[in-house]
Amino acid sequence: MRSSRSVLLPALAALSIIVAACTSTSPSESSGPSGSSAPASGGTVRVGIGGFPDSLNPGNGLLSESYTLYELVYDTPIGLTPDGDYVPELAKSWSVSDDGLTWSVELVDNATFHDGTALTAEDLKFSLELYRDTVDFPYMPAYPDVFETIEAVDATHLTITTAEPIGNFESRMVFIYVIPKHIWESVDDPVAFQNEEMIGSGPFKFVESEQGQFTRLAANKDYWGDAPKIDEVIFQTYDNADARVAALVNGDIDMITEFPNTAVATLRNAENVEVVVADPVSGDLRDIIPNIVDPENCPVDEGGVCTGHPALLDVQVRKALAMAMDKQQIIDVALLSLGSPGLSMVPRGLGDFFADDVSDYAFDVSGANDLLDTAGYADTNGDGIRECLPSQDCPTGDLTFRFNFPDDIDSGPREADMLKAMWQEIGVKIEIQALDADTLTSICCPTFDFDLILWGWGSDPDPAFLLGVALCDEIPTGFSETGYCNPDYDELYVRQGVEPDHQARVAIVHEMQQILVDDVVYMIPYYASSTQAYRSDRFTGWVTGPTTIGLEDPSSLGVISKVQ
Amino acid sequence: MKGRGAYLASRVGWALLTIFVVITFNFLLFRILPGDPARNVSKDPRLTPATVAALTERFGLDKPVLINTESGNPFDSQYFIYLGSLTRADLGISYAFRDRSVGEMLGGALVNTLWLILPAQILSIILGMLLGLLAAWRRGHALDLSALIFSLLMWSLPTFFLGIVLLFAGSAWFGLPTAGRITVGADFGSYWEELADIGRHLLMPTLAFTLVLLGEYMLIMRSSVIEVFSEDYILTAKAKGLTTLQIIRDHALRNAMLPMVTLIAINLGFTVSGAIQIESVFSWPGIGSLTVSAVRDRDYPVLQGAFLLLAIAVVIANLAADLVYGWLDPRVSEA
Repeated sequence: MRSSRSVLLPALAALSIIVAACTSTSPSESSGPSGSSAPASGGTVRVGIGGFPDSLNPGNGLLSESYTLYELVYDTPIGLTPDGDYVPELAKSWSVSDDGLTWSVELVDNATFHDGTALTAEDLKFSLELYRDTVDFPYMPAYPDVFETIEAVDATHLTITTAEPIGNFESRMVFIYVIPKHIWESVDDPVAFQNEEMIGSGPFKFVESEQGQFTRLAANKDYWGDAPKIDEVIFQTYDNADARVAALVNGDIDMITEFPNTAVATLRNAENVEVVVADPVSGDLRDIIPNIVDPENCPVDEGGVCTGHPALLDVQVRKALAMAMDKQQIIDVALLSLGSPGLSMVPRGLGDFFADDVSDYAFDVSGANDLLDTAGYADTNGDGIRECLPSQDCPTGDLTFRFNFPDDIDSGPREADMLKAMWQEIGVKIEIQALDADTLTSICCPTFDFDLILWGWGSDPDPAFLLGVALCDEIPTGFSETGYCNPDYDELYVRQGVEPDHQARVAIVHEMQQILVDDVVYMIPYYASSTQAYRSDRFTGWVTGPTTIGLEDPSSLGVISKVQ
Repeated sequence: MKGRGAYLASRVGWALLTIFVVITFNFLLFRILPGDPARNVSKDPRLTPATVAALTERFGLDKPVLINTESGNPFDSQYFIYLGSLTRADLGISYAFRDRSVGEMLGGALVNTLWLILPAQILSIILGMLLGLLAAWRRGHALDLSALIFSLLMWSLPTFFLGIVLLFAGSAWFGLPTAGRITVGADFGSYWEELADIGRHLLMPTLAFTLVLLGEYMLIMRSSVIEVFSEDYILTAKAKGLTTLQIIRDHALRNAMLPMVTLIAINLGFTVSGAIQIESVFSWPGIGSLTVSAVRDRDYPVLQGAFLLLAIAVVIANLAADLVYGWLDPRVSEA
């Protein structure tokens, strides 16, 4: 989705509860579970969060706060480690038939729901079918939608068939929160079901919650995997970020999941507070969207007006814009250096899918000027702005672009001003206007009534999601923001979707990112880092990296213990 | 015939008409905004066209807005369905919390808001009036000057700033809680202990809101009393040999109260909108917080419900003010 502060992708919160995956990373404190002295058990962990889960019903959730809760209370067949690896969770193993159409899943045999009922393949089948068939669940249907038939062979074995081979079976299973069939089968309208008992099989049990205030969970000491050492987790909502920071410093709470970058210095100086900066799980990105829809592809039937600036269709102009952008300066000013330069639609949090072999345009103002000179864009009237080519029917006759951004990006005005100054150096002018996100959507796509938009995305753990924004077929649906259309790219997209071999798929995904960079389909100023902080004098064993963090996830809450 | 009964009837009639206009305006306001609420649930490509269609139907947005000209029943439209559900006190379902009804959400928040705002309102009215009266009585003295400076300062301080200062001070010096209504997970021995815990959470937000309101009440009361003191009948009263206390009680107070009634009525009316800034700073789960998050999430049914509640409260408070006016100043209802 286009990211705003309140709505984030499930992926941001999704992590495996598999403790084994976390043992490779060393917690910053020493008295870990493997230490010589037995760790103290018990204790209530208080977590200060900015929002509130939008639903206890895992089919309904949109906010990252909800997915944090689902990860703690439910189990999924396959887990995702903080570093982007898929690992067994409820599924001990899974394999695909030679024709790539039938998947066999073997479940653990000792998982039970919080009400004592055993979790079986029937529950997984029921969950998959409910998520697939309930179309008013916003996110869920997209994950199991290609599963044609789902059969429970016995209590621990399940077979799934698909019409075509799929390359992302694992990522389709990481959000399948297995719900108990015996409770949900009598629910008439699963969307209206508030799920106030929230019976799952995960390492924490739901205790109570109050709208807009708190959610309280108790450790599931009978968990089929490694049970948490702590007793309780309380998520307390703090509407105000400064209050959240103060509460951590004063010791009212033990951990905060997000805070403004301006508070980093305060927290680093505070006693007994550790600040962790790393990539967010899956990650999100800031993007600059050029309107490059070919007039022939304009989706007129869907309301397309396609008024984009003709010069943006010229890849040389887009390259010059990319070269004249000083990403590090934007990161230093807008993020107080807490970010890394962006490359393409696949952020660093996606592990090996991130194309570290693709080289970006280096910051080079004179190179950008040369590029525009060579391409024939000259400032003939001496007003500092280069004129369009005679063949282009530009509204103002020169390289003056409309530039919009959503007013819910706090650093938007600063980023826009910096870009304006940077692009002025190459004779390009932008006219900046902030818009309400709804209005921006209505001029964006599939209307294509803009020149440049500054926006952002939160990524899914699977790269197919964001790589899909550049497909020809998505121009009329409104998913394509740029209007880019390249049959070679589309073919690669289809191929990565059915490629069962991971390494082969990674290679295709890298090739697609190379195309996106070569054609400057997007300009990606940065990937923002995630910042979290915890009190080191209360609990120990927080998993803080190496590449991504999610202290509120089971990967940390499942292993931390009280400081003795 | 312009008796008291007719005055009452006309006031109530106007109030009802106002509420109806507000309902209609409220309804239209959210429908002329750009964007598609079903898609706004999340601007996410994984929302398939089927999902968007299903959500549109669930939200009732698949029907015509005002009048249904297509089916046989012209009243099968969003507007008339909305009016119909209002008569059943059904405010619809939230877009952001799709398994919750707006009534349930607003109800809970309203109770919390009243906990915070009523004590603060009452305290600030009493203290503000007393301070204003004292200042007017001691006009030009040190008491007047210091009360004036204090009130002006409180009135002009940005609310969120005062709030955050009190939050930091309360938390750092007195160990008061920083968020919420109650200590979550605490083991309360008795109902009284629980009440005391809520009280600890309420202390700073109540203080902040009292201080914010106090300044305005004091300033209006002071100028109002000073004005009355300059009237001829006060001079007459003095000449009759009445004590200052008698003058204030029997002659000045009732007349000085007229502007105060207006102010109190307006403030009380807006009480249900919550103290948006105070609630945000202290994470108090009232109507103010709910409204802020509904704006952020574009949760139109919740906003529509909150606005309706606010409109009704303001109209009722104004009606009450009109009636109190009539009682304080008989010329109003007999004019």
